[in-house]
Amino acid sequence: MQRGKKKNLLTPTTFSLLHAVDFADRLTYQILPPLKAGMIVLADRYVYTAFARDVARGVHPDWVRSVYSPALRPDLTLYFRVPIDISLERLLSGRAKLKYHEAGMDVGLSADPVESFRMFQSRVLEIYDQLTTEFGMRPIDASAEIPDQQKVVRKMVQEILGDYDLKRANGKNGVTSQPR
Amino acid sequence: MASRHSHDKTWYGHGLPYVTKKRLPGHLIAIEGTDGVGRSAQIDLLRPWLELEGYAVSNTGWTRSPLLSETINEAKAGHQLTVTTFSLLYAADFADRLEHEILPALQAGFIVIADRYMYTAFARNSVMGADPDWTREVFGMALVPDLVLYLDIDVESLIPRVIMGKGMDYWESGMHLALGTDLFDSFERYQSRLIDEYRRLSSEFGFISVDARLPIEDLQGEIRKHIAEYLSGSNGKSRDNNGASGTKE
Repeated sequence: MQRGKKKNLLTPTTFSLLHAVDFADRLTYQILPPLKAGMIVLADRYVYTAFARDVARGVHPDWVRSVYSPALRPDLTLYFRVPIDISLERLLSGRAKLKYHEAGMDVGLSADPVESFRMFQSRVLEIYDQLTTEFGMRPIDASAEIPDQQKVVRKMVQEILGDYDLKRANGKNGVTSQPR
Repeated sequence: MASRHSHDKTWYGHGLPYVTKKRLPGHLIAIEGTDGVGRSAQIDLLRPWLELEGYAVSNTGWTRSPLLSETINEAKAGHQLTVTTFSLLYAADFADRLEHEILPALQAGFIVIADRYMYTAFARNSVMGADPDWTREVFGMALVPDLVLYLDIDVESLIPRVIMGKGMDYWESGMHLALGTDLFDSFERYQSRLIDEYRRLSSEFGFISVDARLPIEDLQGEIRKHIAEYLSGSNGKSRDNNGASGTKE
């Protein structure tokens, strides 16, 4: 995937499919085995990222849902919602430059990366809002202080866990899965 | 089919919504058939003939995209793939060729000869146990070919041809399916299943089936006959409308 991204050769469809390959691989090797072992899997991004980002790039919303249909529906999906200015500020303070695809430069909305980011990510956020309703994602105000967000998150997670048996898997209850 | 205008192409599913489907005066001809049936030999003979007839010809082949061919070979070598990741890589390779090779060539009025098309993915996935509906939805971005020629062969006739050729390889023998430890037995079983599936697809999608057991020149004659028939049916209109299809490369 890095190969394609570097050459900026990707079209919206190949971009989407290559991320789907990575996801399907994570599903097989990182997500399903721990779930079957009774563990908790924390997935940093899930299919909804693709539903928002790839549709903002122009692929058909039904098509990308089909591509990801082998995925399991999560028990809980937390959506950290943040206004565009804050996310831009956070990204620019952390590093010097916005990434080409993150700024949606491939979509050709603007030649200026910051402006392109603003336009592209606004589209993405708009779609995320629709997805929140469609899939019952739980929005979290990500502009709040981190400890306050964490409180909300823990409460939601606790509700879902209910009487989850902590003794399973010899105390090793959690794994995380992230896109590569 | 013969009465259809050649530029009336349709997407197989949702297509590529961000691509404005311009007029596509070219012709998309897919050559399908199982491993070792002789597709590439036939395509090599087809190209000069079509060029002499005055057509510009462009070839495209399964897993030949600059974007993915290396990745797919590396992944195959690593044996990490599942039927799902396999299918998605094939789909990505296909989409890349569709957008960068097939559509531009069709727009320019070329005859595009595709060595394998989405039906190969349908057949293989079904043999490997993937959900057939899922495979078809993933390939919804494809363009429906104007003509699909299916090189049909039975497994008994295929076997000597493959052995005399480049030999039975791991993948073509379906060793990844663990049907047995014997290469020959696995090849025979895997290829029979594939051929059954291709034949089912042939009737479902209306392929033109040609007998691939014929000697190479006779088979070429058959293929040319069907292509000429298709072209004379569809070209009455498009050739007059568009000089491009008569332009040499």
